[in-house]
Amino acid sequence: MTAAAALTLAGVHGFVWLRQKKQMASLMFCLMAASTAGMAGCELWMMNLADMQSYAHALQWYNLMRWLVTLALVGFIHFYLGSGRPWLELTVCGLRTLSLLLNFIFSPMVYYSSIDELVHISFLGTQVTIVEGIPSPLSIVGQLSLLVLAAYLVDATWRSSLRGNKPGALRVGLSAVFFVLALSIQMMFSLWGIIDMPIVASLFFTGIIVVMGIELSEDMLRAARLADELRIRESELREERKLTDAIFESAPGMLYLQSATGKMVRWNSQHERVTGFSNSETSQMRAEDFCVEAEREILKEARSIALAKGGNEVEFDLARQDGQMARHFFRMVPVDIGGEPHLVGIGIDVTSQRALAAETEKQREQMAHIARVASVSELSSSLAHEINQPLAIILSNAQAAQRLMAHEQPDLNELREILEDIVTADIRAADVIKRLRSILRQGKPVLESISPPTLFDQALGMAQSDLKEAGVEVTRRHSKKLPTLQADRIPIEQVLLNLIKNACEAMQDNGSREKLLSLSCVNEGIWLRFSVRDNGHGLQGNDQEIFQAFHTTKPNGLGLGLTICQTIIRAHGGNLWCDRNKSHGATFHFQLPIVPENL
Amino acid sequence: MKQSETVFLIDDEPALLRALGRLLKAEGFTVQAFESALAFLNAPRHTGSGCIVLDQSMPEMSGMELQQRLVQEDSALAVIFITGNGDIPMSVRAIKAGAVDFLTKPVKDSELLAVIRMALKKSKEMLHSKAEFNEWKQRHAALSKREKEVLVHVAKGLPNKQIAKELGVVEQTIKVHRGRVMSKMGVDSLAQLVIMAERLRLK
Repeated sequence: MTAAAALTLAGVHGFVWLRQKKQMASLMFCLMAASTAGMAGCELWMMNLADMQSYAHALQWYNLMRWLVTLALVGFIHFYLGSGRPWLELTVCGLRTLSLLLNFIFSPMVYYSSIDELVHISFLGTQVTIVEGIPSPLSIVGQLSLLVLAAYLVDATWRSSLRGNKPGALRVGLSAVFFVLALSIQMMFSLWGIIDMPIVASLFFTGIIVVMGIELSEDMLRAARLADELRIRESELREERKLTDAIFESAPGMLYLQSATGKMVRWNSQHERVTGFSNSETSQMRAEDFCVEAEREILKEARSIALAKGGNEVEFDLARQDGQMARHFFRMVPVDIGGEPHLVGIGIDVTSQRALAAETEKQREQMAHIARVASVSELSSSLAHEINQPLAIILSNAQAAQRLMAHEQPDLNELREILEDIVTADIRAADVIKRLRSILRQGKPVLESISPPTLFDQALGMAQSDLKEAGVEVTRRHSKKLPTLQADRIPIEQVLLNLIKNACEAMQDNGSREKLLSLSCVNEGIWLRFSVRDNGHGLQGNDQEIFQAFHTTKPNGLGLGLTICQTIIRAHGGNLWCDRNKSHGATFHFQLPIVPENL
Repeated sequence: MKQSETVFLIDDEPALLRALGRLLKAEGFTVQAFESALAFLNAPRHTGSGCIVLDQSMPEMSGMELQQRLVQEDSALAVIFITGNGDIPMSVRAIKAGAVDFLTKPVKDSELLAVIRMALKKSKEMLHSKAEFNEWKQRHAALSKREKEVLVHVAKGLPNKQIAKELGVVEQTIKVHRGRVMSKMGVDSLAQLVIMAERLRLK
């Protein structure tokens, strides 16, 4: 019965070992179970023997089995617990082998120095044969091997539990210790004839095998459970992968996963469609290969920032396979995959948005230009006059010359003067056109950072001769802290110069009253206000008229100066206006917006 | 060769004055150029026929203002405006005030000369009618008090009989006065006398 059970277990674990060659513990268990079965067979055989000769023969087979069992047990503990001390293992195996060899050498048997007789006793209700005699001193080797085995098992169990190994290890180890000790006691008692009992070592080993078998089965069950969990996990992962695939595909743009060095790891079909590079081509490419050469540095920097700072965004012209470009906006997020930093993100085509924005900006500029032209259209009739004047001079001179030439003796001096006048008038017409072009010039003011006092310096420098000639005294006043101005320098200087010249002319008839011109620049928070104040004859006409084109109080004036000034200031987003001074004269002010420099 | 006719040029642009002057001189006109309306007014007044080529937009006194002064003075000089940026209302006003034409710079020589000739003709006519008017005025002044009274009544179209009744004299006396008035005023018909009375604004 014991043999059958042990054989079954041996078969099962032998099969396990065949399936999984690495499971050496199963092989050892199989060997142990098989040899235990053999041992049980031998014991049964011995119990039913009548003569001394065949008993000794059976005992040799029995000892071989025991040798195998011991080696298999040591091997099992070695592989299953993995905590045995090698020198103890060698000692156990050595002693058992020695015992086996002794048994062969000192045949018929090593256990007894002399055998008295074979006795038939009744054991568990059956007639069995046992030996009675004087135990041999050499039998101590077998006993010693059992005790060392027990010590080995205790040590291995202790070390295994210290390491917190498998939960069943302790049970296996302790039960093995228990059965081995029990066996050695039974062996001693029966050898020394203290009790009358046949040798039933197989029973003890079967006990060990049963416990081992249970543990191994539990291990197998656990492994099966783990395998189940693994299967579930795998299917979950497959679902997850399916989901991410779907997300990759459903994204409204290109999705990509790249290594930190830019190697393409994964991408969606949109990526293939947009870039025009096939999947096999893409797998050989790097991130920067998809960027136009001019912007590669930008991409490189954006990537390193994204990796260092946990994400970034960048916009560049995507270089397509067909040589075309498409403006794309990319978002990149760092992610660790397999312990390596990667960048994952999306790329969206912004060509149409950028084109729209550019179109809007263009339209806005055109509108601004139209608005400017509209306000300037009033100027055009005056400018027509300005151009017509030299044209009239040229025409009349030329036609006079034609008529002079018809005379018999044309006056050559007169003709020379005519030509000189024509040249002068022509230059004058060209100047007017140049001025007209500068007023109607399309495009934004070219903004530069200007320190406000330098505007006064420049304008006063240009007006110096007028001021000196007129004997005007100039005073200047600035706010202590003046911000830098963002403006088109030359037109603003022209405005200041114009206002200064106007002031000088207004003070022409001051007579004995001192001519005072005061300039100030005041920081008003969001505005910078420039003021030009004189104590001249003051303003004529209402405020609206003053800024209208062709309104002039000067004999040689065009009535355009202030209109142009206003156009310039408005183009800068500012205002130009005037105040009547309480005592004498007028003050002209203009405000320009203060733009923070870092904007 | 007949005596050349005089053209006055008034423009604040000296270069244009020179150019137009050359043109007109080449055509045989006598040219007098002024850089402003005031300069013209300050110069001795020309009594014969002539025309003024006048720039509309000038500082101090505009062309239009000078025209008004000339009308007040009952000048026989015909006015031609030239302007760089004239508009329709301005030209209408100028023509109504008696200007011959309103030209826009730059002016073609043929156009300008044609207008100048027209203006000079008009000036001559004006001078002629002015002379005639003065003649009539003198003749009228030479009439006796009674003759002047009879002239007023005749010009009203009243018959001799009614005039005699109004003045309290006999019809025959009126006939004598009437004949004397006609001969003194130098007219042959009643119609001429009525026109004359009208021009002299007799009532």
